[in-house]
Amino acid sequence: MEFTLDQNKRYGFMPGCSLPSYSPTAVIKTTEYLNETFDKFSAVQKCCGKPTKAVGQYDLFKERFKGLQDDMDDVGIENMIVACQSCKLTFDAASPTPTYSLWEILPVIGLPEELRGKAKDSEILFTIHDSCSTRHLSKLQDGIRWILDELGYKYVESKYSREKTRCCGFGGMVVPANPEVAAKVMKKRVETLDVDNVVVYCAACRSSLLKGGAQAWHILDLIWGPVVNAGDLSPTDVLASPVSSWMNRYKSKKGIMKVVK
Amino acid sequence: MKNKVVFSAKIMEDATKIVEKCMGHEDAFCTSRCPMSTDAKGYVNLIAEKNYSEAIDLIRDKLFLPNSLGRICAHPCESDCRRNTEYNQPIAIAALKRFAAEQADDEERWDITVAPATGKKIAIVGAGPAGAQAAIELRRCGHEVVIFEKLDVVGGMMRVGIPEYRLPRDVIDFEYTYLSKLGVEFRFGIEIGKDITFEELRVNFDAVVLAHGAHKGNIIPLPGHKAEGVFAATEYLKEISMIKTFDKAGKRIMVIGGGDVAMDCARSSFRIGADEVFQCSLEDDENLPASIEEIEESHEEGVHFNAGYGPIKILEEDGKVVGIEIQKVASILDKDGNFNPSYEGEIMTIEVDTVIMATGQIVEDVTGGAIETGRGGRYIVDRDTLGTDTDNVFVAGDASGGNIVIEAMALGRKAAISIERFLNGEDLKADRCFKDEWSYQTELDVPIPEETTDTPRIHSRLRDSEERKRDFVQSDLGFTEEMAVAEASRCMKCECKLCMKECVMMNEFGSCPKDMMEKLVEGQGMETLLAYSCNACDNCTIVCPHELPMKAIFIDSRKDFVIANNGESPIKGHSAIKMHQILGFSKLFSTKRKGGKK
Repeated sequence: MEFTLDQNKRYGFMPGCSLPSYSPTAVIKTTEYLNETFDKFSAVQKCCGKPTKAVGQYDLFKERFKGLQDDMDDVGIENMIVACQSCKLTFDAASPTPTYSLWEILPVIGLPEELRGKAKDSEILFTIHDSCSTRHLSKLQDGIRWILDELGYKYVESKYSREKTRCCGFGGMVVPANPEVAAKVMKKRVETLDVDNVVVYCAACRSSLLKGGAQAWHILDLIWGPVVNAGDLSPTDVLASPVSSWMNRYKSKKGIMKVVK
Repeated sequence: MKNKVVFSAKIMEDATKIVEKCMGHEDAFCTSRCPMSTDAKGYVNLIAEKNYSEAIDLIRDKLFLPNSLGRICAHPCESDCRRNTEYNQPIAIAALKRFAAEQADDEERWDITVAPATGKKIAIVGAGPAGAQAAIELRRCGHEVVIFEKLDVVGGMMRVGIPEYRLPRDVIDFEYTYLSKLGVEFRFGIEIGKDITFEELRVNFDAVVLAHGAHKGNIIPLPGHKAEGVFAATEYLKEISMIKTFDKAGKRIMVIGGGDVAMDCARSSFRIGADEVFQCSLEDDENLPASIEEIEESHEEGVHFNAGYGPIKILEEDGKVVGIEIQKVASILDKDGNFNPSYEGEIMTIEVDTVIMATGQIVEDVTGGAIETGRGGRYIVDRDTLGTDTDNVFVAGDASGGNIVIEAMALGRKAAISIERFLNGEDLKADRCFKDEWSYQTELDVPIPEETTDTPRIHSRLRDSEERKRDFVQSDLGFTEEMAVAEASRCMKCECKLCMKECVMMNEFGSCPKDMMEKLVEGQGMETLLAYSCNACDNCTIVCPHELPMKAIFIDSRKDFVIANNGESPIKGHSAIKMHQILGFSKLFSTKRKGGKK
């Protein structure tokens, strides 16, 4: 379903798990922007239950997702916006609430005016790693390219992009099950990218690409963060530390509570 | 795992689909097209890696005469080679086989193990490729095997049909020593039906293989066919093979026929001193049955081709050939599809003194009518088993209808498999995999590998045509190492396994999805770690020509693993996820807020 803005509807945003664990700043700034854009806006922070489903606990997943749906319903969400590709697929399969990816919403509502062309003088050349779970959702992939164009960043498409993208190594809960295999997949993915500087739109993918040896930025780093120039190093692998991750997650939650009142 | 995992019907259905359709184990086109199932792709690539010893071992696993076949095999493998079907530039598989043999064939490495003696005795009539292959198979089973050969030499038609400049006799003799090393006994100069009766053989041996070939020439009853100077190809080539001349031949020779035998006759004619050599055949240039190499080399040596012209009349004076009339073929078959050539245009007369008819060969019956024969004297056999109406008599090679050497060998092997069953009192057909005994259509159906380019076939070194056409020394000098490695490196290594090139994890569990799913379908379940090592990225299915559902099996089966493990993931490392999920849903880390501009 194509997204069209209807200010009579109440929009909801959920940043997911890996993004708030990685960057409270990205979560807070995005929430602020959406809160200012939509007349009616709610925010939810919880897990969608995808990991529960992925390990095979389908009954437990249903129970947990129901809790999330109840939260959404409690705050009157009529249209859901998610920043995580697994959330998008999980919601599409399990929720009656129409759900859109943040990456298909932004081209419709636009970026803040002051950000347009902010990186036009940067010489850095990126390539894009598309999330494999949404390899068939071209609107969402188009949105990422639109954002880069708006910001003024230069990028090249890799041979393995969009529907041909390859796994970063994180999917399917393989890391805790078979870490050796996951490490090999991460390395292989980086080897198939011709450019070392990679733009991703999933924080878990970002972590995997760093482990595989690339420099990787989340698209929200590029939107809300400082202009990245050639030779700059990407943010460190925050998700590698569980303590930092949960601290961030807590900060993100607090940030959302502060922004959306 | 606390309980046995019961996989859902959908999983089992998908797994069955994969076992049935996965092309991971499908043979390459070349290999499936070889009646002996020689692993052509395998040895070509070993040559590319300069691993000649392993290459020759792989060839010898199926073929006892790699050097001979490397020179004269009609190489059906090359017809089906993807580089032929795509670019008309097949890998020179046969020539590479010869190269491997020249580089690394070492009789010390030959496998001459035979099973313990069984006390059974087998008689084989004919020492050609069919008889030899049957002898090898049966001797390996521990039977006593005796080959009765009418001539004083081994090789059959390879020896007295194929000319020496294409197949040096020392190559045949060396490769046939394999049979002696195995313990096969040869009795030369013995003609069945004359020196020993067929009945004696049948009674004195536990089983008999008739593999004496089709050595009788076929003379077309054209006007003038009885004139002095008309000969059958078999007689012509046999005498040239034995004594390197043919006293009754003249200087201007017409060869009737368009197959390899006709080319052999034409080219041999120069070598015994002919001045001019002509050819005519019902088939036109586009449809000549001879191999491309033979046609090209005949042209180079100066044979005048009249392909698409049929013989009308042999002209004679005083009972001797003085010429031949030929006319353009309008059609070979009539409107009912029967062989009935029609002609058109002017009749052309060519002055010749000798006419050689390379128009088919006939099997001479050695059984005194005990075994029924059909067209061309071929014995009537069961095509699957090569058995006859007489229970211990089997037929192989030309005598049963094979066309080329490699087919003769496969028929020899087939007869041997039947005899082994017969001797063991087993049914000749029950549970027998006939596909393994002949060429077949591989199910392989894959796109051309990315970045494949059309590169030309490398041709082996031929001696100059003017020099080679006057002697019987080998005309083809084969490949140099550099040429062979370059030619072998053109192999496209036809296989599927596209998913295995994409997926990292499946490579840790098998060679293709079929491997992994066979156990599941057979009721042996699935490794837990296999199901839990899938990233669910779907790249396997995307590249799979049949879009087989690997991800669905790995991801959906986890539900069944969890059920069998009392609701928990069976993976130890997943305890972290359990905690992660509890926290992710906890109040501490979750919130719900209502806001917006209004």
